[in-house]
Amino acid sequence: MEGFASLGINLPLLVVFVINFIILFVLLRLFLYKPVLKMLDERARRTKEAMEMAEATRKQFEEAKTEIQRQIEKGREEAQAIITQAIQTGERLKEEARQEASRQAQEMIERTREEISAERERIVEDLRREFVEISIAAAEKVIRETLDREKHRKLLEETLKDSLLFKRS
Amino acid sequence: MGSGRLKILIFFFVPVLILFIIGLIFGPLGSSFLGKEPPSIFKVPRPHVSLPAESLFHFGKLTITNTLLASWFTMLVLILLSLFLTRGMRLIPSRRQAMAEAIVEGLLNFVESVAGKKHARMIFPGVATIFIYVISNAYLALLPFFGTIGFYHDHEFVALFRAANTDVNVPLSIALMSFFFVESWGMRALGVFHYLGEFINVRQFLQGWKELFTGKIKTGPMNIVFGVINLFVGVLEIFSHLTRMLSFTFRLFGNMTAGEILILVSCFLIPLVFTIPFYSLELLIGLIQALIFSGLTLVFGTVATSPLHEESE
Repeated sequence: MEGFASLGINLPLLVVFVINFIILFVLLRLFLYKPVLKMLDERARRTKEAMEMAEATRKQFEEAKTEIQRQIEKGREEAQAIITQAIQTGERLKEEARQEASRQAQEMIERTREEISAERERIVEDLRREFVEISIAAAEKVIRETLDREKHRKLLEETLKDSLLFKRS
Repeated sequence: MGSGRLKILIFFFVPVLILFIIGLIFGPLGSSFLGKEPPSIFKVPRPHVSLPAESLFHFGKLTITNTLLASWFTMLVLILLSLFLTRGMRLIPSRRQAMAEAIVEGLLNFVESVAGKKHARMIFPGVATIFIYVISNAYLALLPFFGTIGFYHDHEFVALFRAANTDVNVPLSIALMSFFFVESWGMRALGVFHYLGEFINVRQFLQGWKELFTGKIKTGPMNIVFGVINLFVGVLEIFSHLTRMLSFTFRLFGNMTAGEILILVSCFLIPLVFTIPFYSLELLIGLIQALIFSGLTLVFGTVATSPLHEESE
């Protein structure tokens, strides 16, 4: 035990020092830690609030921006749709006009073909008549008989009609 | 510009060198080497170191020592400084408020980095107070009037102020507080019985016996053996917690007393300027010891507040 004394450990003094430390602890807590920590917390809270408000504002701004973008997109899409529709209508009209024109061309071709056919008929008819006249004249010359022009013509007409009919069918 | 700085250096170092040589020649070293008596102004009294603090007067049964005066002085300085720094606190800090905030925030970050955010606020005041107390004791002891102003008591010089950390009672008191802090943090964080149960760890031991009786023959004895080991480890834990106080005490006491003796002897051997490097060494050692004391308390507190056994509960 006197080893302790030679080292200097002294119980009443030890108690006094412990009391000193406790007093210092309490006072430091009261005058230094509490105010400063309160101020630090307050500042952190305010900063966090400011940050959150800035974040909320930024988010609002972002949302408004996307909304505007969406509106612009929608407008653009509608314009695009109108244009496409106009083009389609134009195409359709063009197509119809083309078809109309081709139809008319077809009709004209048909008509012309029919006219040519009719013309051909007439010409054949004329040729036939000419041929009949020439045959009668030739026959008159060969036989030297005066035939009844009419009887002969009717005879040859019927012959030719039969042959034409065959040709026709 | 370069020559101007060189001139300042010369003006500073040459007088220091001259003083050093004077101290060397006329001090005890030089005089014993040359065999001459030093002139009376250079006579430095041989350092007399007593490990127990010298008592100044008695207050009833209590002795007031010079280290007690120094401790009161430290407390006074710290309290006045705190009051001064936190006067009129505003959200945007003034310079002195910024200094107080820097100190507190620095210590708080130190605590949080080890203990984690959950327990940091509980552990912070104790650790911070230990740090501030130890480092203030160490640094204020470097002021000129410590150890020099005093009176003669039976032909022995007794200084009025002596470094508080050199009285073994002071590190012992801080170590005791550290012990109580750590145990109280452990109990506050884990609950009294839970925390004490880590020292008297009969859980696995009893579980082994229960298993033996309920038929799990294979795992019963193993748990009994491990239970005995856990009991033993618990007792070792108690022992280690108690011996921490010893190591804390003598670490701080030894460092501070050795530093004081070092300065005294260096003043004695080569007077005048030789002590200056040792003063800066004392500054470094004061900081390191404060960090070690508070840091170890912090670590032990962190260990005490974190559940040691498996998190099955």
